[in-house]
Amino acid sequence: MKRLVITALMLIVIPSSVFAVSAEEIIRKLEENTVFETSRVDGDMIIRDRFGTKKSSFISYSRGTDDMLVEFTSVEEEGMKILRTKDELYLFFPEAEETIRMQGAALKESVIGSDMSYEDMTGGKGLLASYNVTLEGTEEVGGYPCYRVGMKAVRRDVPYYSQTMWIDTTLFIYRRVHKFSRSGKLLKNITISEIREVSGRQVPVRMVLEDTVKGNSSTEFIVRGMKIDIPLDPGIFSLEELSW
Amino acid sequence: MKLYRIAARNIRRNRRRSVLSCTAIAAAVMGIVFFSSYLKGMQSDLEKNIVTYYSGEIRVQHADYERYDYLNPLHLRIEGYRELIREIEAHEAVALLSPRIRFPAAVYRDEETYHAWGVGVDFDREREFQNLDAYLAEGRIPYEGRNEALLGIGLAKEIGVGTGDKITVMTTTMRRGTNAVTFLVTGLVRLPVQQLNGSWILAPVDRVQRFLRMGDSVSEILIKLKDGVSVEETARELEAGLGTEQTRELSIKTWQEENTSYGFIKMAGMVYNFISLFFFVLASSVIVNTTMMVVFERVREIGTIGALGMTRGEIVRLFFLEALYLGVIGSGIGVALGIGITVPLSFTGIDLSSALQGVSFEVSNRLYPSVNPGLTALAFVYSVAVAGLTSLIPSTRAARIEPVEALRSI
Repeated sequence: MKRLVITALMLIVIPSSVFAVSAEEIIRKLEENTVFETSRVDGDMIIRDRFGTKKSSFISYSRGTDDMLVEFTSVEEEGMKILRTKDELYLFFPEAEETIRMQGAALKESVIGSDMSYEDMTGGKGLLASYNVTLEGTEEVGGYPCYRVGMKAVRRDVPYYSQTMWIDTTLFIYRRVHKFSRSGKLLKNITISEIREVSGRQVPVRMVLEDTVKGNSSTEFIVRGMKIDIPLDPGIFSLEELSW
Repeated sequence: MKLYRIAARNIRRNRRRSVLSCTAIAAAVMGIVFFSSYLKGMQSDLEKNIVTYYSGEIRVQHADYERYDYLNPLHLRIEGYRELIREIEAHEAVALLSPRIRFPAAVYRDEETYHAWGVGVDFDREREFQNLDAYLAEGRIPYEGRNEALLGIGLAKEIGVGTGDKITVMTTTMRRGTNAVTFLVTGLVRLPVQQLNGSWILAPVDRVQRFLRMGDSVSEILIKLKDGVSVEETARELEAGLGTEQTRELSIKTWQEENTSYGFIKMAGMVYNFISLFFFVLASSVIVNTTMMVVFERVREIGTIGALGMTRGEIVRLFFLEALYLGVIGSGIGVALGIGITVPLSFTGIDLSSALQGVSFEVSNRLYPSVNPGLTALAFVYSVAVAGLTSLIPSTRAARIEPVEALRSI
């Protein structure tokens, strides 16, 4: 009887202690962990589709939530750069005399044949500014307890109408993300398979992204090296220096 | 007096009636002749366009290319294509060759995106293969080794560029990466097919190979054969004759085997035959109507000639001969008019550009009708026969009426 009471108490008390944190707070902590003052990442993208596997390498630089520069270093895409500044996205190719500004339907195109689209790289406004968030419960993902947070868009200019994130209850890093269309169709599935400590921060270093509409394909992102809060020349995020 | 003389005199005697009857038959025959010429022109035009711009008479591709065509599988390519071309050219039936790389492209200009089709071509070969110089509206053909391009005049208009301007084209490379390159527009082509006119960007194959990271390879080789050569036999001979290791990876197909185009031609042929049949039926109703009315309005006359001693058989034969003469004259005039309209149009052509606006159809903007001798002869014989045979029905009925009764009718 005593055991039953304790179990019942645990069932009541534990979830309430878990839910003591609000969805907004969880997202705030997540963004604190994933957005850096500045960063440099050396990584690879391994794209698998029906025709085989392809590996592309890149170096990316970021500053806050707004600015990002990705420079591809693999032979196939050598010299290609993607620059994001606030709401704008630009592409630079060594043989093109003009910089291409991606907008409208073009944003839905795939980045170098991967499962990531250009619009996945947009939207630096922060999740809380773009989505209404609700805590839907706790679930285990890959053996790790996670908050399940539902997100519904409050702005029309976000690429996904709704998302569900499974956020690690201790690390506050998402372990899985599902992104949905307005009709409720699953469009993207992100799974984090490895998290590592970099400069005292927990960061995902290996994740798999699947475009479920494309089918038969997946893209694995592998972080080979990462530096956080390092001095960066602010000029690298300018359109003027993109072609240099 | 002989019946054929009476028939001829009857035709001369009532000129207005004869002219009306002949005009109706002539109009129907002229319609058939012109329409069949128009359809023949359309069919041969469609065939020519498919062979020149889409598939050649024979197309060589990687064996799996067609299966994944919708995914732009540039990696399913023809490597060592120059050697292959030499082997194909050695075949006595082969007249012209066109190695090409087709790729979907997005054109960026003033922050706008336009969808297009890029085609990497060997311009020296293309000048003959598609008679490119004849379609050059302005400017010049691009040089090999330079980032230069020819644009379909419709696409150039849509983008708002002309000769001397530059466009940036972005596409997916062979290894499914992304690349963009800026081309100088050296000229505009007014291609005969509206669909191509509004989408084609022709660039030197060596630059496209570099742009798409394809090395020294192409995605297809189109072949045109010498006149009178069997396409199927040549395709099978090429298949058997080319280096066996290579041909195992290649598909060598005739344009009839290419499902879409051949199926379309077959379907078009059926539609054309149905339309022709419809036209024949329509023309027949005009001839039947006219002939029957002409005979029925002459019941009184039939009564008179019956009272004068002409037998029923002679009356029927007389009206048959009259209808036959009118049929021959009307059909003859109709054939002459039909040919008379078609022949000048076969040189000047009929402008269909506004009708084909936004239509995805491989037919040319300007269609050149071509006289269809078989259908023209058939139209003549058919119309004469219909006119003659139709006269038998009312004249047989009229000849059965007693002369006294026939004379009473108005």
